[in-house]
Amino acid sequence: MEQFTLIVVFLFVLFFLLGSGIWIAISLIGVATVGMLLFTDRPVGDAMVTTIWGGASSWTLTALPLFIWMGEILFRTKLSENLFKGLSPLLWRLPGGLLHVNIAGCTVFAAISGSSAATVATVGKMSIPELKARKYPDRMIIGTLAGAGTLGLLIPPSITLIIYGVTVNESIAKLFIAGILPGIMLALLFMGYVTVWGVITKHRETGQSALKIGQFKDVLQLIPVVLLIVGVMSSIYTGVATATEAAVLGVIGALILSALQGSLNRETFIASLLGATRMSAMIAFILAGSTFLSLTMGFTGLPRSLAEWIAELALSPWMLIFALLVFYIVLGCFLDGISSVVLTMAVIEPLARSAGFDMIWFGIFLMIAVEMAQITPPVGFNLFVLQDMTGKDMAFIARAAAPMFMLMIVAVGILLVFPEIATYLPNAMSN
Amino acid sequence: MRKFFVRLDSTLARLYRVSGYLAAMCLIAIGLLVAANIVTRMLSMYIPGLTEYSGYAMAASSFLALAYTFQNKGHIRVELIISHLSTSKRWYAEFWCLAVASVTTVYLAFYLVKLVYLSWKFEEYSEGADAILLWKPQAFVMVGSIILAICIVHNFVKFLVERLRLKV
Repeated sequence: MEQFTLIVVFLFVLFFLLGSGIWIAISLIGVATVGMLLFTDRPVGDAMVTTIWGGASSWTLTALPLFIWMGEILFRTKLSENLFKGLSPLLWRLPGGLLHVNIAGCTVFAAISGSSAATVATVGKMSIPELKARKYPDRMIIGTLAGAGTLGLLIPPSITLIIYGVTVNESIAKLFIAGILPGIMLALLFMGYVTVWGVITKHRETGQSALKIGQFKDVLQLIPVVLLIVGVMSSIYTGVATATEAAVLGVIGALILSALQGSLNRETFIASLLGATRMSAMIAFILAGSTFLSLTMGFTGLPRSLAEWIAELALSPWMLIFALLVFYIVLGCFLDGISSVVLTMAVIEPLARSAGFDMIWFGIFLMIAVEMAQITPPVGFNLFVLQDMTGKDMAFIARAAAPMFMLMIVAVGILLVFPEIATYLPNAMSN
Repeated sequence: MRKFFVRLDSTLARLYRVSGYLAAMCLIAIGLLVAANIVTRMLSMYIPGLTEYSGYAMAASSFLALAYTFQNKGHIRVELIISHLSTSKRWYAEFWCLAVASVTTVYLAFYLVKLVYLSWKFEEYSEGADAILLWKPQAFVMVGSIILAICIVHNFVKFLVERLRLKV
């Protein structure tokens, strides 16, 4: 009973510190310290720095800043323009017309950037004005962007997947490869939805209008980007390079691509480097806090008792996944994706392992759950980005994204029935 | 006196920026170390400790950039509740956040100093293939955490001073 009271106090401190607006990394360190004081007699400060040093100097983490940097470099090129120009001549004939460019553009951009907010911003920058000028309904423009933008988390390289891999000690290379097929599946679901919408509303693009954006020769401009993506992914898949090494290849490729386009100069180089430095410091600090919190969580006994409790309930995998889905969406109402993953893994990992989930599969499921949280109000980062870009209110954007949300639930269902979609490629890789 | 504080303020701001630039160089170092790893492997050479070094560069880069990132509002926080507070209540909330952050970061910096001191005193070596004295890479992390603590306390003091001046 006393243990129970302590756990309640501990959780209260956790939510109070986070909710009161203290920087997430600092909250985590604070809560972990309080937890250590409550549950052990160990010297807290020394345990803290040993854990933080061990976590921060881990070699597996080095993939993180490098992939962030790669995305930052490409973000500063003419890529967004090229994507729009190059994809339009390929896709306008489909029912639903240029809306497909939103989805395909996000899918391609997701494959070079690990962040979903950057994906939405880059693709939307070009496509929102062009699609508006062509009288596509706002609801569809915003909905497709919000939905497909979340692919940044699922399609490798994904920052959130790296964080997951580091936290639960699974191979980042395998997680990346596992994300490919589910990512493409989700993109196809979104495109299917747009196609159905196009057929029902008979919305068709005219070649005249579409070809003003880009000619067939513009498709060629996509080749360097596609080569870069295929190069990075195949080096991981074939085992030629580790995830970190592939990230270096990606940075080099991104620099070459940017130089070829004439976007690379002293200014963009420094801006991309400093942007990556800040972003990875922010994430590494949160991770440092969370490794310390995980240590404390172990002492509280919370993860084990929760896992035992769940085991006693004998839920079917469907029920458990559904419960976790709801849990992450609710959590996503307050926290961003990375924070929800690092904050919960100490508790959820033993639970998922004891329930017998494949941790690679579970990572992919988690990405979709976190993606869904990104497009649910009140805190959804993709919603914020779209709000900035379109000036529409949150409620409108959230309603526009709702069909995509439903499609993601469908995607989780498909993954439960056919787990091989996520596990086939990584398993084939090891053999 | 006032002049001194203005100068201190800008000197500190420069300190955060410089340590941010150092962090950026560490990021490049990570890239170079990993690239060296690829190249030496292709040439079937082996340089011991390259992976450990890239880990150290990672730790150094993360920690040296902390203050710089804080100055650029790069650290995320939950703003859902505080963004809905009135100006005066918001002030108390910010006071609370900066106070807790000051205590936590000073506490972190203190124990990192202790960690480095103990590593140095007992001449602890890395267990990896690099086999170097551990206090050397740890010192970067320590310096970064000290600069972060200075930065947050600096922001806290500045925040209080601005409030007091408004009242006068």
